[in-house]
Amino acid sequence: MAELMMPLRNVFQWVSEFPSSIAIRESLFVSPYLTVSHVISMCLFAGLIVMMDLRLLGIGNMSSPFSEVQRRLFPWQMLGMGLSSVTGLTLAFSDPMRFYVNIFFWTKILVMVLAGINALAFHYITYNSVVVWDSKSTTPLGARLSGALSIVLWAIVIVSGRLIPYNWFQN
Amino acid sequence: MLQGFFEWMGALAISQAIGASIWIYPLVQAIHLVFLALFAGGIIIVDLRMLGYGMRSKPVYQVARDARPWMVIGLLGLILTGVPQMMQNSTREYFSEFFWYKMYLLAFGLIFLVTIRRKMTQAAETTTATKVVAVCSMAIWTGVTMAARLIGLFT
Repeated sequence: MAELMMPLRNVFQWVSEFPSSIAIRESLFVSPYLTVSHVISMCLFAGLIVMMDLRLLGIGNMSSPFSEVQRRLFPWQMLGMGLSSVTGLTLAFSDPMRFYVNIFFWTKILVMVLAGINALAFHYITYNSVVVWDSKSTTPLGARLSGALSIVLWAIVIVSGRLIPYNWFQN
Repeated sequence: MLQGFFEWMGALAISQAIGASIWIYPLVQAIHLVFLALFAGGIIIVDLRMLGYGMRSKPVYQVARDARPWMVIGLLGLILTGVPQMMQNSTREYFSEFFWYKMYLLAFGLIFLVTIRRKMTQAAETTTATKVVAVCSMAIWTGVTMAARLIGLFT
């Protein structure tokens, strides 16, 4: 396993030696600013994702059809995702070796991938039948499953992200 | 005046118990952020509507009525996970300037929420007044979140 990971480790190591990476790492104020911006943009992204998921579950924002909630919130969700990606990637860029050895960082990455797969699966399977259930108060099982999974997975992403500074499992 | 109260709070058995475990405090901190996302969602969806964006096909009051229970659950969750953090770290919080920025702004934000903003969310259409209130609301809660995150980074 350790050998399989070597190329990845080398990439992280290589990035950590960039002068720009070192400059951010050694600055006292850049990473706090990035961390704060990351949390604010997370609120925009995760907050509006949850608002949409509640509609999928059939328990929130019920006065609008699902497709309406989805269409109206989508640009703002994407803005939140863009901002949190830029701030998050810059944080990772500034101290790659700290994240490389952190179990919570990799948990977060893995669960984000799963949340992405869940969203795509919903889009290409359940969403095809949206005209049938769009305005109904009870949504189909597939929709409820996607909504619940999305909330759980993004909650795990938030929790594991917050736990990154606690490196209990590091030697 | 409050220093004694904060010292007393930190000495409570429950505060000591939270501090004695290595994982309770971090986990409470992390769950605080999950409730923050829920609360923020319930605020932002309405603020965007008051600005004339987002859920435009419904009147402001309808979007606000739909979002309210989730905003309230988010807020209760934030308080429930916030108070133990304050208890466990009471003396650090007392001497942290960001903690007090957060508390003053939070008190202002809550009063604003149940008075002016509540009144404005009864509107049907976007007006200059709803826009001003939405911008204030977003600015206040962004400020609370910024100050909160900085407590842990600069003390």
